[in-house]
Amino acid sequence: MNTQDSSIAAMGAALRSGTITAEQLARDALARVAARDPALQAFVLVTESRALDDARRADQELRAGRDRGPMHGIPYALKDIYDTSGIRTTCHSKLRIDHVPDQDSVVAAKLREAGGVLLGKLATHEFAIGGPSFDLPFPPARNPWNTEHVTGGSSSGSATAVAARMVRMAMGSDTGGSIRGPAAWCGLVGIKPTYGRVSRRGVFPLSWTLDHCGPLTRSIEDAAITLQVLAGHDPQDPASADVPVPDYRAGLERGVSGLRIGVPRAFFATASAVTPEVLAAIDRTIALLRDAGAGVEDVQLPDYALFAAAGRVIMMPEAFAIHEADMQTRLMDYGEITANRFVLGAAVTAVDYINALRARRELTDAVNAVLGRYDALLTASALATAPRFDAPVDSLSSTSPMQTIPFNVTGHPAMSVPVGLAPNGLPLSVQIVGRPFDEAMVFRIGRAMEQVTGWEDVKLPAFAA
Amino acid sequence: MQRSNAEVATMPDTPSPENLTAELEILLARNGIKVPDTRRDTVLAAYADLRQQVALLHGRYGAVAEPSNVFRLSPTESK
Repeated sequence: MNTQDSSIAAMGAALRSGTITAEQLARDALARVAARDPALQAFVLVTESRALDDARRADQELRAGRDRGPMHGIPYALKDIYDTSGIRTTCHSKLRIDHVPDQDSVVAAKLREAGGVLLGKLATHEFAIGGPSFDLPFPPARNPWNTEHVTGGSSSGSATAVAARMVRMAMGSDTGGSIRGPAAWCGLVGIKPTYGRVSRRGVFPLSWTLDHCGPLTRSIEDAAITLQVLAGHDPQDPASADVPVPDYRAGLERGVSGLRIGVPRAFFATASAVTPEVLAAIDRTIALLRDAGAGVEDVQLPDYALFAAAGRVIMMPEAFAIHEADMQTRLMDYGEITANRFVLGAAVTAVDYINALRARRELTDAVNAVLGRYDALLTASALATAPRFDAPVDSLSSTSPMQTIPFNVTGHPAMSVPVGLAPNGLPLSVQIVGRPFDEAMVFRIGRAMEQVTGWEDVKLPAFAA
Repeated sequence: MQRSNAEVATMPDTPSPENLTAELEILLARNGIKVPDTRRDTVLAAYADLRQQVALLHGRYGAVAEPSNVFRLSPTESK
């Protein structure tokens, strides 16, 4: 069995038919990590003994007739801002280098309860904001499509681990695009669910009102399976929503015929950083969706600059409030990029912040109004392919090449989906945005795109053994 | 919804480079932050960019435009 390219569902079927064991899946994945990670730096910690313990337990339970569902026996990994009981959780930072939580984050606990096999903890931009950096305790993860290029962040190691076929699923977090950006630049599916859909408890916060938890995966189905495990109300997370969770796989194959999809074209078409290959990829995707029966029309939303401004002006002071004491006393222990970004939070006034919250209400209402007429929106994830390490970009600046932060501001579910390769051999992606709590529609459209764009047939990068 | 019902404030014009530097240093000092000299230019450039974004949000809203964190209470049940 080719375990590196088998979907979560296919691995599950093999486990249940007895053609493979969870221990063998774990050992195969650990071998891939050992062979590939020295050049890619996805992992900050490989939890081999935990993985083998999880796997053996999964095998024993299946033999005993206890089936915990689709993640039972499946290897995965966690961004190193997710608390893991008894396992170091560093936020990729000197400030938390010895931090060993005594409880699992809710996400880690749910994946454990679902029978998942934890392979390890993954590199991140420091505190989910500062990177890629070379002045941190661990090196930055590299893009498997071309190791001279960045992955995007902040869920950098999560993207590398999945794109390099070490695991099929890795958890990221997304405050301004930290799931969708790396997914876009590494040819992966990355979903930021609706704000409140997945508990944030036990995940180190960057910005309380913008933070979201979600997976990066190789396929839409893998993402749907993962979100099924994670979604649900957590009374101890103040943002958690008590909204029923549907069966995310039930409608995956329904196609897009008859659906209405809006395209806020001004978001990306008028951006100075947009590249011709991104515009071409979006237009090709739109044409393919129309061929598949969707009605796709341009729509108007407020200026992109307003969304970006609101997001940054909300994020910076919330982050500074979290880090205030350490910024005052241990500034030089942060990486330089992190520190330079966090200090700006001290320069945002209360009126600035409140105006950003007023903008959030206006912008959320505007997106909801458009989504009252359309089933989903389609826009860019990123305006260009992944840059080189020696030409970094600031994803928070007003000229950022990322187009993800609007839906952190508004909380709508949003997913990056790969749609092809640029002439430079790097992945191109688009972003699908749904109505609040309608991740099922986002998955349905994403699944159709996966099929019509031919992404499933794209040759993945080769990796040195 | 914006500009309804009241005068709206405007952001002061973009200050001179000298005043921008002074403004940032006052704000950082108020919060107990001391940026090393070697990083000051980088932080100042980022602050100038952030300030332009801040300016976009000023002057848009009147008194009835409430922020997104205005909240509603639910009745508390006795136990």
